[in-house]
Amino acid sequence: MKKLAILLVVALVAAAPFVVGGYETNVLMNALLYVILATGLNLVAGYCGQFSFAQGAFYGIGAYTTAILSRDLGTGFWFNFPVGIAVAGLFGLLLGIPALRLKGHFLAIVTIAFQTIVYLTLSQWTSFTGGQTGLPVPSIGPVSLFGTTLFEITSLRSYFWFTLVIAVILLFAVWRLLQSRIGREWIAIRDDETLASAVGLDTTRGKLTAFVGSAALAGAAGVITAHAMRGVTPDDFTIWISATVVAMMIVGGKGTFIGPIIGAVLLTSMPEFLGGFAEYKMFLFGVLLVITVTLLPEGLIGRVRRLRERFS
Amino acid sequence: MTSVPVLEAKNLTRRFGGVVAVNDVSLRVGRSEIVGLIGPNGSGKSTMVNLITGELPADGGRLIFDGADISSQPSYRRARLGMARSFQMLRLFLSLSVEENLLLAHHIRMKSSMFDTIIARRSAVEEENSVRKRARELLAWFDLEEFADNPVSALSIGQQRMVELARGLISEPKLFVLDEPAAGLSPPNVDRLITLIHRMRDEFGMSILLVEHDMRVVRDLCDHVVVLDSGVMIAKGIPEMVVKDPVVVEAYIGSGWKRRAKA
Repeated sequence: MKKLAILLVVALVAAAPFVVGGYETNVLMNALLYVILATGLNLVAGYCGQFSFAQGAFYGIGAYTTAILSRDLGTGFWFNFPVGIAVAGLFGLLLGIPALRLKGHFLAIVTIAFQTIVYLTLSQWTSFTGGQTGLPVPSIGPVSLFGTTLFEITSLRSYFWFTLVIAVILLFAVWRLLQSRIGREWIAIRDDETLASAVGLDTTRGKLTAFVGSAALAGAAGVITAHAMRGVTPDDFTIWISATVVAMMIVGGKGTFIGPIIGAVLLTSMPEFLGGFAEYKMFLFGVLLVITVTLLPEGLIGRVRRLRERFS
Repeated sequence: MTSVPVLEAKNLTRRFGGVVAVNDVSLRVGRSEIVGLIGPNGSGKSTMVNLITGELPADGGRLIFDGADISSQPSYRRARLGMARSFQMLRLFLSLSVEENLLLAHHIRMKSSMFDTIIARRSAVEEENSVRKRARELLAWFDLEEFADNPVSALSIGQQRMVELARGLISEPKLFVLDEPAAGLSPPNVDRLITLIHRMRDEFGMSILLVEHDMRVVRDLCDHVVVLDSGVMIAKGIPEMVVKDPVVVEAYIGSGWKRRAKA
């Protein structure tokens, strides 16, 4: 029943480009990327309880990894994709180290600092990153197996479908991860770290794996974005991206699998309905965030679950 | 083998600023023994427990667990070596179910790797199922089976205490450190607790270090007792003797008790 529902939703999303125009397809593509980013942040912040404002930085690290690799080594997407994920994961490990000693606000400030350092590096180290003008990135192009071209990823639609496939694979992997022991251990660390180590859990390893997993997912989204946009600029990976991802996770419901997905879709599509007010979307996100935190601490999903419990 | 104690604390010392919370205290817990650690409020019992389980580092002294020096091991390693504990202020993973609380304590005994559980390899799934079965058995032992899928936060304090005990048991410890398990329990529940701790020792062969306020619990359960006052050990021996020791009585009710008793 549940499987069927998921299949139906995926099929509907996949069919969308046939119904809607190019602009809407682009919005949907963005929504998919934000789903990956918010789901990633949810691992470390929602499940493991380690707050991070650096998801945008890891997104940028993934994107710039593929841009620099294709510029300097001429390697294509299929080589750069795993490398981008790995590089982002490695930086995730780096940011995880201060998290072993810091908690709450202090950790959040360190992640903001990390985000700022990454942005400054991307915008100022001109010889390596191209500075403010950024770098061009080639399209993914034809995908061939044993010499025959299967399909080509160049059009917006093909990018959208490709991103959908990758997102479904990544979400499935995350779901398995959360069902496994590691998911349970993350919740344990979030609930009570002292108790977690008293029952023998290696909290250091638990926190670091959460940071790495979270960053790796952002890296994956970054590599895809770089190819889809045909280029990267530092302004695509600012702290505003990080803040938006945080808002998506919290509004949807952190610490639940489906919450950040809902939040990402909602906040990506919302500005499209605002017309002239779209300029003020960050203001709106801020208001939404405050409302959620004060009135719906478990996010929209938490609220829906409460209501369902009450009526059943 | 039986002569090697499960736990040997040698000259443990811990300071907080200028206060010496635990001063040169030694104690040993033999195999299948129940040792009591008692003393008035602020005598250093809880600090002593935290030194033994590794929540606090000691400033001096050594800890030998099952023949190995564990003085510099962090708490999660001590747990893996076979040391379980309960907390004076009940501690459970509140957003998880009763069963999940137990499963987490058994992770350290699981053989399948993290990767095996992610790809749901058959051996890992079978292991998980057998652990769940074991958790249910233990919960039945504590009359908590029907609550297995409930969130722990929905249980009463008495039931939560039992979940803490079950959590310790499922990790198959050699030593179970119980930090005031009777605190907050009603008298009938205290009776039940005494029976359960007896059974834990007799049926699982477990060694227990019991920190307790309630003298009845101490008298009914402990083979030996160590008494702390102001961080110093002031007496030790069998419970019947220790509770009559004038030094201990004085520590508990102050030096004026005789005068006041006459008046």
